[in-house]
Amino acid sequence: MLRRHIEDADCRRVKFPAIITDFDFKESLLRGALSEMSKSGRGILKVAVIGLGKMGLLHSSLLSVLPNVELVALCDKSGMTRRVFRSFFRRVQVNDNLEDLYDLNLDAVYITTPIPSHFPIVKAIYSTRIARNVFVEKTLSSNYDGAQKLYALAQASGGTNMVGYMKRFAVTFKKAKELLSESILGDVVAFSAYAYSSDLSETSRGSRASMSRGGVLGDLGSHVLDLALWFFGDLQVESAKLESVSDLGAEDFARFRVRGPNDLKGKFDITWCRKEYRMPEFGFLIQGTDGIMSVNDDNVELELHDRKPHKWYRHDLDDNVGFLLGAPEYFREDECFIKSILDGINMEPNFYSASEVDRIIEQVKNEAYERS
Amino acid sequence: MSDKRSMRLLVGDNPFHGISHLSQERSRARGNALDNAEYAAELVMTALENGADGFMFSVSETTLSILQEVCKKEIKNLSLHAIVPYAYEYVRLATQAGGITGLAKKIGKQVIATMNVKAIVTGLKGVVRTDPVSLMKAYMLYEISRIRSVTRGKANLDSVMLHEVITEVALALNLDWLFRSYIDFMWKLKIQPGFETRNFAYLVRKFKEWDIDFRKIAIVTAFNRVGFQMNPSKIECEKALGTIPESKVTAMSILAAGYLKPPEAIDYIRTLPNLKGVVIGVSKERHARETFGLLKEKLGS
Repeated sequence: MLRRHIEDADCRRVKFPAIITDFDFKESLLRGALSEMSKSGRGILKVAVIGLGKMGLLHSSLLSVLPNVELVALCDKSGMTRRVFRSFFRRVQVNDNLEDLYDLNLDAVYITTPIPSHFPIVKAIYSTRIARNVFVEKTLSSNYDGAQKLYALAQASGGTNMVGYMKRFAVTFKKAKELLSESILGDVVAFSAYAYSSDLSETSRGSRASMSRGGVLGDLGSHVLDLALWFFGDLQVESAKLESVSDLGAEDFARFRVRGPNDLKGKFDITWCRKEYRMPEFGFLIQGTDGIMSVNDDNVELELHDRKPHKWYRHDLDDNVGFLLGAPEYFREDECFIKSILDGINMEPNFYSASEVDRIIEQVKNEAYERS
Repeated sequence: MSDKRSMRLLVGDNPFHGISHLSQERSRARGNALDNAEYAAELVMTALENGADGFMFSVSETTLSILQEVCKKEIKNLSLHAIVPYAYEYVRLATQAGGITGLAKKIGKQVIATMNVKAIVTGLKGVVRTDPVSLMKAYMLYEISRIRSVTRGKANLDSVMLHEVITEVALALNLDWLFRSYIDFMWKLKIQPGFETRNFAYLVRKFKEWDIDFRKIAIVTAFNRVGFQMNPSKIECEKALGTIPESKVTAMSILAAGYLKPPEAIDYIRTLPNLKGVVIGVSKERHARETFGLLKEKLGS
């Protein structure tokens, strides 16, 4: 069944690329470890959140239930938003200026502002030493140059950094990564990836909706790109095509082909204009010399040449978390970031892996514009 | 074991919104038939004729159209259990309207458009003082007026539940004052206040800490044999249920989003103490007949 979806698959035997395997601990162990640390008094982390939109509220709420965390400050430029948040976060400072964070002796800062502001804010956080541990919602920066500079600043700070590519914390994608790490498919030769939603399926010519969200590549596309880099390692763009429905410069459709290590071939199809995708959906079809695997947000399906097909749903993969808000992935993501700070380590998705996503986005845009 | 005579059986609306927690592919495969309000109303009627005691739904244009169709039929004392706000729609609106601020302005305009004086005055007070309780009251009045404008006295709005996103955020932020204000306000309106949650054990622990009277509230939360969406774990949720005999807990996701077959799902539900009802969505006429027939036989009155 799955085979017919893989087009142009090159079946030459190639070796599967090296995989970064630092995200391999069990979530249940992590949960236990966090509470143990709390009991042993290794300290409470003082955290601030900058940017109080949907993601700012989500992270602020999750941070409020995590042990070892004290949410001490919130920051947003909108006066109305600050007023509303003050009434809900009564024991937390709500400010409009980064300067107000200087004296708080913060352990970590979450940045959940619009993407174009990530670069100046992260730079200011590091250069003024507001905090050395920084979480940024995806994408890391608006361009590869900015992402590289932020990665260099993060390295110099010596702290922990993370970017909000939460799909890595979904049990299905985690299962797929485990299976790939075990080389269950043999040598991986080709993959196709998609990211679809209906968010702008009713968008029309002249609409600013796409522009205000920065285009589909950075929005939906960055998640599936991050997963691809996690699964397969380094990728280079070979050809790309971008289309805009609104015609205001921001892309609504992105289709491109990549090549990976050992001649791995991949293709991407990304749009937020597809009907019937009530919730955003991300998925892969991966072809190896020993079989095929499909994975999306809901399930993982494996078809090996010499065995019966097997399908795992979220239900089969221990999807419960300490506190569910939005999706289990968000809790695991925040938990992982906090634990990494306490352990003094850097876990992926960090500034380095996120800068690679920004590199591919830039390559796709350059390739598409050159062709057009 | 639950007293089978006390179980309330409710038909849910998830399939009408194209929701399948098993897979999005499955919800797409159901096709567009469920978008049709007349067809969906027929399904609700079939469920009611085969043992369902009421309808639980998120308040949206889709479900209000369905409700309007249901109320055109010969029904008596239909019991309604509303969930507000319909978070998905509001997230979508926020995306289109330019974030939370844009969304707030849009809702404000909608409240004014209802010409519901009480809602408008309460809302204005909330805006001027940035008072969350007044804003909550205005919003509840607005949603209740939307429901009553389509039912026109042909159904009883028995309970109004806060959607899980609101419940979970309020729990996370320790907003005990908001929970209390909501409960008191709804009782004044003679409607049972309720909470939808997927953090049941956490909610029970917090409500006990805050001395919230479980007899005064309804709770709808996931219970199923495989522990799907029972956070932090199936065992913790079962334990928490065991500690609140006075509560009115309705189980949702009993089929774990289609992962389980009705007989095995019901066998598990029958083992749970203190459960007062179940809610289940149906997408086909045959499903409605068979599922509610079985539920009535095993759990219903």
